[in-house]
Amino acid sequence: MSAQKTAKEDKHRELKLSMEVFFSNKSAVAGLVIFLFYFFDAIILQFFPQVMPFKHPYSLTPNYVNPIPLPPSKKFPFGTTYPGVNLLTAIIKSIRLDFWLSLAVVVPGAFLGVIIGIVATYFGGLVDEVLMRITDIVFSIPYLVLAIAIGYVLGRTLDSMMIALILVWWPLYARYARSVTLEVKEITFIEAARAAGSSKMKIMFRHILPNSLPPVFVQMSLDLGTIMLTISALAFIGFLPAANLPELGYLTSLGYNYVETAPWAMIIPGMFIVLFALAVNLMGDGFRDVIDPRRRSAL
Amino acid sequence: MLLFIPTLIGLTVIVFTLLHIGGTTKLLAMYLSPRLTGAARAHVIAELDAKFHLNQPVYVQYFYWLIQILEGNWGITNTPLYSGPVTQAIAIFFPNTLILTIFAAIIIWLVSIPLGVHTAVNRDKPSDNAIRVASLTFYAMPWYLIGVVLIIIFAVYFRILPIAGTVNPSLVVGLSWYHNGISYPTHILLIDALLHGDFKVAWNAFLHLIMPSVTLSLGVMAALIRLMRGTMLETMDQDFVNFARAKGVPEKVVINLHAKNNALLPVVTNFGYLVAGLLGGVVVIEDVFSYPGIGMWLTSAMLNNDMGGIMGGTLLFGLILVTTSLFLDILYAKIDPRIRY
Repeated sequence: MSAQKTAKEDKHRELKLSMEVFFSNKSAVAGLVIFLFYFFDAIILQFFPQVMPFKHPYSLTPNYVNPIPLPPSKKFPFGTTYPGVNLLTAIIKSIRLDFWLSLAVVVPGAFLGVIIGIVATYFGGLVDEVLMRITDIVFSIPYLVLAIAIGYVLGRTLDSMMIALILVWWPLYARYARSVTLEVKEITFIEAARAAGSSKMKIMFRHILPNSLPPVFVQMSLDLGTIMLTISALAFIGFLPAANLPELGYLTSLGYNYVETAPWAMIIPGMFIVLFALAVNLMGDGFRDVIDPRRRSAL
Repeated sequence: MLLFIPTLIGLTVIVFTLLHIGGTTKLLAMYLSPRLTGAARAHVIAELDAKFHLNQPVYVQYFYWLIQILEGNWGITNTPLYSGPVTQAIAIFFPNTLILTIFAAIIIWLVSIPLGVHTAVNRDKPSDNAIRVASLTFYAMPWYLIGVVLIIIFAVYFRILPIAGTVNPSLVVGLSWYHNGISYPTHILLIDALLHGDFKVAWNAFLHLIMPSVTLSLGVMAALIRLMRGTMLETMDQDFVNFARAKGVPEKVVINLHAKNNALLPVVTNFGYLVAGLLGGVVVIEDVFSYPGIGMWLTSAMLNNDMGGIMGGTLLFGLILVTTSLFLDILYAKIDPRIRY
């Protein structure tokens, strides 16, 4: 009974220490706050679109009467872009799609990668060699080019963009998870577990997996930004032919033809991409501090 | 080093698989000119059928396809930029991409190494923080946005640099070595103009190269500065650096001779990632600046559903990356005697 209680207290103390480490890093907190804005925007528009005063929450509303971009004004705080799209509402709608798409790439990519990384270290030898060779081969094509090729084969839609990015991204996680797992495998407590007679399976999933997850989570939070950048780059070069899709990269490409007369039509949606990528980077650095034992003991 | 060949085979397997996911029609699309109709089309299809043995199992077809690729029969591309054999399109577009990446690599090398050393030496001082914030911002920016910001500043506002393309068209009218946007003999306008002694065109071509290469380098530079800073900080903590300081070597010499050279090794090892980053960036940046290289050809192939262009570009980029990593491996073994394959 008392042992259980102290374990609970330990956990509580650990959590408190983690919070302290994270909140002592001001830029990480700023990143978290910005991330939460994007997160709530995505949640509200995905699940409670009726809260927002939008007639069409999942598509852009063009205004062909006045298609030329207008500068920011009282009626349009961020101005408009071609064809007469109100940038403020368009950006609010776009964040939903970009956020969920990045998440839909990172989570399956990391899941696949961690499973493969653990399988590689568990079996070792030939299996490890073959799996790592496959990641090498996928790495040998620049990911943007590979995504374009996969997109052509599957047809250029939103779904195929997601599939292409997952196929491009898992090797990164497989390699990362493998290196983390190999590192954890060498720590003394694994040896202790083996000495105590734990089965290989139990060591793999009870001891190694939970301890290799935190670094993977940090990598995931950093990658959310990278994937948002990749999605927007793909959308900018015309990967998504279906117009009217609220997506930040597509919004910037709408303004591209007016870059000389209406720079805001590109700069403002672009800023929201940069803001997100910056925020998750700062946040990820904060999370890295949390799992770093040196930072923990410094406090 | 032996891994070179399996990786190369894996690369061709990936491209072949992509070609075959939608059945043989996609493979035919790569070799069949869309302009053919009627009897001529049926005739060419029958010919391709015989050449690629399309009635055989897929794994047999792979070898026949590989033979064609090795013989230089990469199919046909049909885009507004260029239509004709893929290998010829590569011969025309690749030199432009090459000079762009070389310019960008030179800028990256000249700027990021000194900046990395500077930030490490002046750790946590205002200049270090400023450079770190700036490089993080560039790191978080999509490449095309960096390009657009540069265009707005230098081409639209100050009007000192040209907006897009490779040369001012009015300068190359009537030149004997320039036809239809292609210069001869090297296909690189800057070098061809120098070869023919036309310095006005050469200067103009150089001006057109500045913005794309700076954009390309800014996107990749941030990661290299960060890496250089990290390894430099690590090296400066080591015993031999402290020893050099203790025996009275001036701090400047300690940093530039003892620490910097040793900190460079991990940076050189990561040069392969840099090449990969450059090749990925080329796709977007050439599109922004309408710079006729492999990247712009690839995007135009994507927009026109041109199989030959997409697969040719994918295969080419893969080949470049694999061979560069092979050469780098050999180079490390030469530089660092601890590495033996």
